[in-house]
Amino acid sequence: MHIADGYLSPSTVVTSFVLVTPLWIYGFKRLKSKLDEKTIPILGALSALSFVIMMFNIPIPGGTSGHAVGATLIAILIDPWIAFISVSLVLLIQATVFGDGGISTIAVNAFSMGFVASFSGYYIFGLIKKYKFAPFIAGYFSLVIASFVTACVLGIQPIFWVQNGHPLYFPFDLKVTIPMMVGSHLLFGIAEGIFTQIIYTLLKKEKRAVYEI
Amino acid sequence: MKSKVFAVLGILFLFVPLGLLTSSPAWGEWENEYYLKILGYIPKGISTHIGLKPLLPDYSLKGGNEILWYYLSAIIGIALIFTIFFVLAKLNKNRKQNAD
Repeated sequence: MHIADGYLSPSTVVTSFVLVTPLWIYGFKRLKSKLDEKTIPILGALSALSFVIMMFNIPIPGGTSGHAVGATLIAILIDPWIAFISVSLVLLIQATVFGDGGISTIAVNAFSMGFVASFSGYYIFGLIKKYKFAPFIAGYFSLVIASFVTACVLGIQPIFWVQNGHPLYFPFDLKVTIPMMVGSHLLFGIAEGIFTQIIYTLLKKEKRAVYEI
Repeated sequence: MKSKVFAVLGILFLFVPLGLLTSSPAWGEWENEYYLKILGYIPKGISTHIGLKPLLPDYSLKGGNEILWYYLSAIIGIALIFTIFFVLAKLNKNRKQNAD
C-alpha cells in the first residue's frame, strides 16, 4: 500500500496535500495534548510496533507480499487521531530513511494507512465492542478499507493522465487495482486482525491508565 | 501496560527477520524493470521522477548481511520514533512552561 514517488500525477499529489494537511494539523494538536513524559513510552512503543509490524512481509500466492499496519490497535487503545499521526510519522521515516513509499505520495499513504485505517477500525470496533473478536474484525476491515482507498487513487491515474496512449504515472486502472489491491488485502487483513486482537487483549486491562495519565 | 507493550515490541523485534522470508514485492511496489517487462515501457512519471536517495533503501545495504541490516533498520526506525516523540514532548513542555 506504500505508493512510491512518481506513481501519482502532480495534481493528485497537490490535492492530497491540500486535503490531508488540515487533518495532520488537527491530529498533531491532539497528539501534543496527550504527549508528556508519562505518555511517551506507551505512545512511542505503539508507534514502534506499527513500524516493526510493517517489516513482517507476508507472501501470498501470485508473487506478491504484504503486511499489517497496526493503525487500528492504536486507534482503539488510545485515539484514532493519535493513531493517524503515529502512522504518518512511521511512513515519514520509511519514506526518507528506507525508501519504502514516496515522499510526494506521503499524504495519500498517510490518508489510506493512517487516517482511513485508524478511523474505520475505531468506528467498527465501537459498533461491535461487546463481542470477543471485535479487535480482530475491526483490524481486518480497517486494512481492507484502506487498501480500497489506495486502489482508487492508483487506479484513476491511467484514466486521467495519458500521453500518446501511454499512461504517464501508475499504469493499471481501477479494473485491475481494485481486485488486486483489495483482493490481496482480504488475506493481509487476517494478519492485521490477529495482531490487533492479541495485542489489544494483552493491553486492554491497563487501557484506562493511558487515559488517566 | 508499559512493560507489556515493551515486551511485545521486544518479541516482534527478535522475530523481525521473518519478514525477509519472501522476496516478492507488494502489489504496486515493483522495480522499474517490472513495467518494462509487462508493458514494454516504463511510464514517464515513474522513470523520470526526482526523489530523495534513501539512506538504507529496502532496509538493507548492498553487500551487507541481510538479516543484520534488517535488525539494524528496525533499531534505527524504533530509535527515530522515540526521538521524535521525545523532542515533541520537550517542545510541548517548554511551551507550557512559557505560557505559565
